[in-house]
Amino acid sequence: MSGIFEQLQGLLAHLGEKQILVLRVLGAEIRVDWRTIVMSWIVMAILIGLALWLRRALRQPVEEKPNRTQAALDALIDLLRSQLGSSFASEQLAVRMFPFISTLFLYVLISNWLGIIPYLEAPTQNLNVTLGLAFLVFFISQSLAVRHRGIKSYLKGFLEPSPVLLPMNIIGEIARPLSHAFRLFGNTLAGTFLITVIMVKFVPILVPSVLTMVFTLFFGAIQAFVFAILAVAYINVAVEA
Amino acid sequence: MEISGADIVLAAKYLAAGLCMGIGAIGSAIGEGLAAAHALDGMARQPEMQGALMRTMVLGQAITETTGIYSLLVAIVLLFVV
Repeated sequence: MSGIFEQLQGLLAHLGEKQILVLRVLGAEIRVDWRTIVMSWIVMAILIGLALWLRRALRQPVEEKPNRTQAALDALIDLLRSQLGSSFASEQLAVRMFPFISTLFLYVLISNWLGIIPYLEAPTQNLNVTLGLAFLVFFISQSLAVRHRGIKSYLKGFLEPSPVLLPMNIIGEIARPLSHAFRLFGNTLAGTFLITVIMVKFVPILVPSVLTMVFTLFFGAIQAFVFAILAVAYINVAVEA
Repeated sequence: MEISGADIVLAAKYLAAGLCMGIGAIGSAIGEGLAAAHALDGMARQPEMQGALMRTMVLGQAITETTGIYSLLVAIVLLFVV
């Protein structure tokens, strides 16, 4: 019995293995996981390559009949606009923040889907990546709050409903990006764990491929959508309150 | 077979991780089910609101899921870090 557990633990420990690269800059040690960085670069390369390829389809007078690629791109943008863009608090905010939010959505979506290719892994399996994205949303929402409401009203917001709750408000504000990051990280990692355990311990054929489709493609898309829509919700709360 | 202290620690780790995940998932499962049930109610009553209801439901479920994800993280920490 303990043999199974040891094997499983060895397998799962290997799954979370990090390829750590240590850089020494000015006497300080910087530890980076180069595998995750390379995977993020692959995601960026895919997105930039897609964008460049799609741009070629747009180089024609607008009056002309759109070709297939352009129609597909239009459908994608329409979908993003109706699902993400319509959730903003105001039209002005939507115009300003829609490119950022849809970029975030596409980045997380391609990241989640990258795990389906053998020898590649989803960058969102690393907590540092999701934390980086979540803190990006955090800083943007805070700076938008300061810009929309003024620094005085922004700082006053922490003292409401009563000054006694100041620590609570600060903790609540910081807990938001943390839960935002942990949600994406936990969901991606749980899917990979489950697939690996089932593949190695129970059924090596047929079932893992179906599970991979469900977890990577379906839940990956749902989680990317949830990540983007929560970013919209945080920006709305920061601007409105 | 001799049972040493390390064995007991190992057993406690696995037991704790299993209990953590099992009990921790109850809350978020009930919450997500309630959200889905009420969203379905609303959709049946007003089919034209389907899109907005779906979006709000997914958002609510994602927030409800956070507690389940926290228990998953605690289980992972128990298994591999402690």
